[in-house]
Amino acid sequence: MTNKKATRRDAYMAKKKAFGFVSSVFLFLLVLGLCFVILNPILKLVPSVFSRIEDLGNPNIVWLPMNFSVVSFKAAARMIMPEGMLTMVKSVLYAAIVMFLQIFFSAMAGYSLARVDFKGRKIVFFMVILAFLVPRQSLLLAQYIYFNHFDAFGLLKLFVPSGEINLIDKPAALYILAIFGFGVKQSLFVLIFSQFFKNIPKELEEAALLDGCGFYKTYFKIMVPNAVPAISTVAVLSFVWNFGDTYYTRYFNPNGAYIGSIMAQKFIGANKNAIINAIQNWYSIPTASDLAFDAVKQAGALIYLIPLLIVYMFAQKWLVENLENSGLVG
Amino acid sequence: MKMGRFKLSHRTKRKINGFIFVLPFVIGFLIFFAMPLIQTIRYSFNNVSVGEKGGMELEFSGIQNYINLFTSEITTKSSTILRMLFDENASILTNTPIIVVFSLFMALLANRKFKGRTAVRVIFFLPIVLGIDVVVDMLTATTGSELAKSGGLFSQSWIQMMLLQYTSIPKSMVMSFTNFADNIFTVISQVGVQTLVYLAALQSISPSLYEVAKIEGATNYEIFWKVTIPLIMHITMFVIIYTIVDLFLNSSIAAEVYSFAFDKNKIGVGSALSIVYIFNVLLLLGIVLLIMRKLVKRDDK
Repeated sequence: MTNKKATRRDAYMAKKKAFGFVSSVFLFLLVLGLCFVILNPILKLVPSVFSRIEDLGNPNIVWLPMNFSVVSFKAAARMIMPEGMLTMVKSVLYAAIVMFLQIFFSAMAGYSLARVDFKGRKIVFFMVILAFLVPRQSLLLAQYIYFNHFDAFGLLKLFVPSGEINLIDKPAALYILAIFGFGVKQSLFVLIFSQFFKNIPKELEEAALLDGCGFYKTYFKIMVPNAVPAISTVAVLSFVWNFGDTYYTRYFNPNGAYIGSIMAQKFIGANKNAIINAIQNWYSIPTASDLAFDAVKQAGALIYLIPLLIVYMFAQKWLVENLENSGLVG
Repeated sequence: MKMGRFKLSHRTKRKINGFIFVLPFVIGFLIFFAMPLIQTIRYSFNNVSVGEKGGMELEFSGIQNYINLFTSEITTKSSTILRMLFDENASILTNTPIIVVFSLFMALLANRKFKGRTAVRVIFFLPIVLGIDVVVDMLTATTGSELAKSGGLFSQSWIQMMLLQYTSIPKSMVMSFTNFADNIFTVISQVGVQTLVYLAALQSISPSLYEVAKIEGATNYEIFWKVTIPLIMHITMFVIIYTIVDLFLNSSIAAEVYSFAFDKNKIGVGSALSIVYIFNVLLLLGIVLLIMRKLVKRDDK
């Protein structure tokens, strides 16, 4: 009888093992497939971007370039970075500054919304949600006109006789937006911070108060160091979105040196022939065709992605681990 | 007595300081949201022209702008605004469930324990970087070379041929499936943040709940539907709202506003479209939230 039981148990275990094996193989294939789909557009670039312009369109080239060359990169760099590396540095610096401003001001607003019971808190919270829900484009016109006649509540009358200055095409407009909470998706960051600070134990603040910390000291010495998970999440998202933003930069600072907006303006269909001509002249390749346009465009995208990928590689540690207390869920 | 007074003053101080902390946002809301909103509404009821000195000249025209808006054709295609709004809403309503389910699926995969999980997560969150509009625009080739074309993985391939020839699945269904598979990168490029949010939610579920369910003899399937799904329902709500807002941000309505105002020099009509656009977003969100709330409540019972 025990024998029978044992065989039945063996069969059960074998079945379970086989099922586990099959499901893990299935899972492995699924994950592999998804990873492939995500990386596919990048992998596909390799043959077109790294091969010589003359080789483009050769049907024998599928995964690897026949003759390795970086002409496309040189051309793309010359087009999207008019000041050379300085353009790249400026764009990164711009994104970093706005990121810092966004974190600083959204964290303060988020903390106050989560922890301080001031009058009108609910109204302010409703404002944040409304700002999150209403698409930014719908208010573009009036914002544009406002910056065109910027008067800082009439304070400027003290300095400029006309009482207003034109802030369009000056980076200041973008920084002002970030300071006052209307940068790229900033209301979302305020929500993330408020969600995060809600979950920090109240005892921390009370202990700080008993030890004689004022409001500001408590915030900067106790709360901010504890908010590293939320700050790092917001930092990554903010940097990536600001570096990738072409909306605010295009409308409020169209002649600024932002790689993203330069690229979006340069590589449009209407410019195709001019770009192909440029490639033909610069590198004396008379056979450059439509394919060369694509190759240069994609090389530009890769150059553009470099800082983002570096930031991502450094930040993925925070993004991937201990997500549960990053303020994304509450 | 003294103590009480200290406490009170501390509390009011705290309230004042707290208000100072949100003051930048409140000022920003007034300047960059409330005032523009009022201005836009004003413009939409006026005939706006740029004066000689560069200022705005307004001339009240009632709802003429709205009439013009709905009778004029849009720039890109020869269809009316109403048609475009309808198309946009339809595509957003069909894309949202796909994106939400897909991001949940990816988060569930990334949350499982297996070797190389960190590497897989790094790749899974790459769409946050790759999904930026500029990058998506630049990576897709404009010229029709077979090599550089993204997509086209399934349509016109042997899989589609086989499905059409040897199975009795109707052609339209096969086509929509292969279309979806072809466009999988456009879906994936939009799920970065949602996957992140879902993964955070999944990690915040206490493991003891799963243990209890296992001891009680629930299968994995039951655990997923009875434990995981109810616990991430409120996050799903947020993900849906985020997705809809995000899709609206990238919709072609926005480009239309800009073209009316700056290319065609009809600021009034552009403002009218802005107002219609805001109402459209809020209306759609309201309807979706109402439906979702009903569903969630039924789940609670």
